[in-house]
Amino acid sequence: MHDFTYHAAGSVTDAAAKAAAGEDAVLMAGGMTLLPTLKQRLAQPSDVVDLAGIAELRGIRVEGGAVTVGAMTTHDTVASSSEVAAAIPALAAVAGHIGDPQVRNRGTIGGSIANNDPAADYPAALVGLGATVCTDRREIAADNFFTGMFETALEEGEIVTSVRFPAPEAAAYMKFPNPASRYAIVGVFVARTTGGGVRVAVTGAASCVYRESAMEAALEGNFSAAALDGMTASADDLNEDIHASAEYRAHLVGVMARRAVAACG
Amino acid sequence: MVGSLGARAGLYECGEVRVHPTGSVTFFTGTHSHGQGHETTFAQIIAERLGVDIDAVEVVHGDTSKIPFGMGTYGSRSLAVGGSALARALDKVETKAKRIAAHLMEASEADIEFADGQFTVAGTDRSVGFGDVALTAYVPHNYPIEELEPGLDETAYYDPANFTFPAGCHVCEVEIDPDTGAVEIVNFAASDDFGNVINPMIVEGQVHGGIVQGVGQALLEGCVYGDDGQLATGSYMDYTMPRADDVPSFTVSTRTTPCPHNPLGVKGCGEAGAIAAPAAVMNAVHHALSARGVSRIDMPATPARVWQALNA
Repeated sequence: MHDFTYHAAGSVTDAAAKAAAGEDAVLMAGGMTLLPTLKQRLAQPSDVVDLAGIAELRGIRVEGGAVTVGAMTTHDTVASSSEVAAAIPALAAVAGHIGDPQVRNRGTIGGSIANNDPAADYPAALVGLGATVCTDRREIAADNFFTGMFETALEEGEIVTSVRFPAPEAAAYMKFPNPASRYAIVGVFVARTTGGGVRVAVTGAASCVYRESAMEAALEGNFSAAALDGMTASADDLNEDIHASAEYRAHLVGVMARRAVAACG
Repeated sequence: MVGSLGARAGLYECGEVRVHPTGSVTFFTGTHSHGQGHETTFAQIIAERLGVDIDAVEVVHGDTSKIPFGMGTYGSRSLAVGGSALARALDKVETKAKRIAAHLMEASEADIEFADGQFTVAGTDRSVGFGDVALTAYVPHNYPIEELEPGLDETAYYDPANFTFPAGCHVCEVEIDPDTGAVEIVNFAASDDFGNVINPMIVEGQVHGGIVQGVGQALLEGCVYGDDGQLATGSYMDYTMPRADDVPSFTVSTRTTPCPHNPLGVKGCGEAGAIAAPAAVMNAVHHALSARGVSRIDMPATPARVWQALNA
């Protein structure tokens, strides 16, 4: 690990100021990706600004048919929240299947989405539910937030403060895990929204979370697993690695989507 | 024996049983324990044989500044070979202790019987305890000093007359999800003949560990190199170690046919699971896939590989 200066931020404003003052500063949420990256010397920031002490970034609020999760809320807190389980059970289920207990007790929703790992689970939940990302500067629709592999719409120094999820009529997430890392080889989040719309968000399969619009259209007319019979994703531009070919991933998108629809009940 | 098969090392094992003046015992062994529980198994053998408390036995291994030159741990040999060296060293300890006991009780050595830590003159109620004999060996005031050295510390080297031949049968049942190619082991039963069993719980644990290792080989583990020779499975994020949720609860049992040619009648057990499980798992996978016309699939049968075979 290279040397860096550590800062504990007391508020969002304080964190933004400290990050701006550093020559090449990074913000640290749970550190689940940043710390291994530092240890492997893949990153060499001048300053690390720790968000862990900012109380205003933690907590869950349910009001007006929406669940708002503070950026520094851990996966375990979301997974074990009875309020989340009542309002959007699929969201609690997603959080409860991220990583392992150690990761769930340190990792945060803000850190996960700001990192935008192509195989992370939360991006599928945000896009699948049509969530809104709130930052210290503005609000960004999830559809516009995730822009590419490890890329987001966040500007330099912009800090995610919370994520607001509208409660759907029904939703479910199905993940086919990588046997080794247990990240998603393919994860599909399906939601039927209160307005009658359907969203199908796919993670793990491509360089970035995306929506399967053909499946959404098929489900809008007939919200049943049968409506997706024979449907797969296009293998063009899907990931290929030692664990799964693009064709296998394309096939799994269809399988996981059908299972998610069936799980919506 | 192995020399005739072309081996260029001796395959003996050694053990030193050092009885202390207090009657406690330290055993120095050339085999090494890295989780197999030798400290327990060897201590059980000593405690049972000498009638001392198991807590009074210490097993020393792995420290080459202390132990005699042995061959180590491999090939499921620690008990069959190292344990046999221990048994031979214990024979020597008992023989010498009987001579000391005979002297203390003014009896003929041939009349001394040893059981439950007591030396008894056969047919009488005269007896002396193992601890008293040990103390006498190191404080030899009333001792046959002209014909017997003081001390009670014996070393034996044991060169096995033959291999041991454990045998067993492992049966595996799998369910395959044809949509994803995922293989789930829903049942696994193993029955093995390891000869005499010293510690059933440790033996069961060895079988469990071996089966999991075998399941890893059959379904999960595989080194993958890129075209440029770079190892693609360089961390546990990509190399799949078997984990608890990859296996069911096993049904494990043993049958006992004592090994005829070593003093404990024991056979190797450490590798049985790892040897039988890959074959059992892959036979089950093949059996399931053959119904869909798949005649061959290589290890590890990962979901991607199974799905590919089903859709070739």
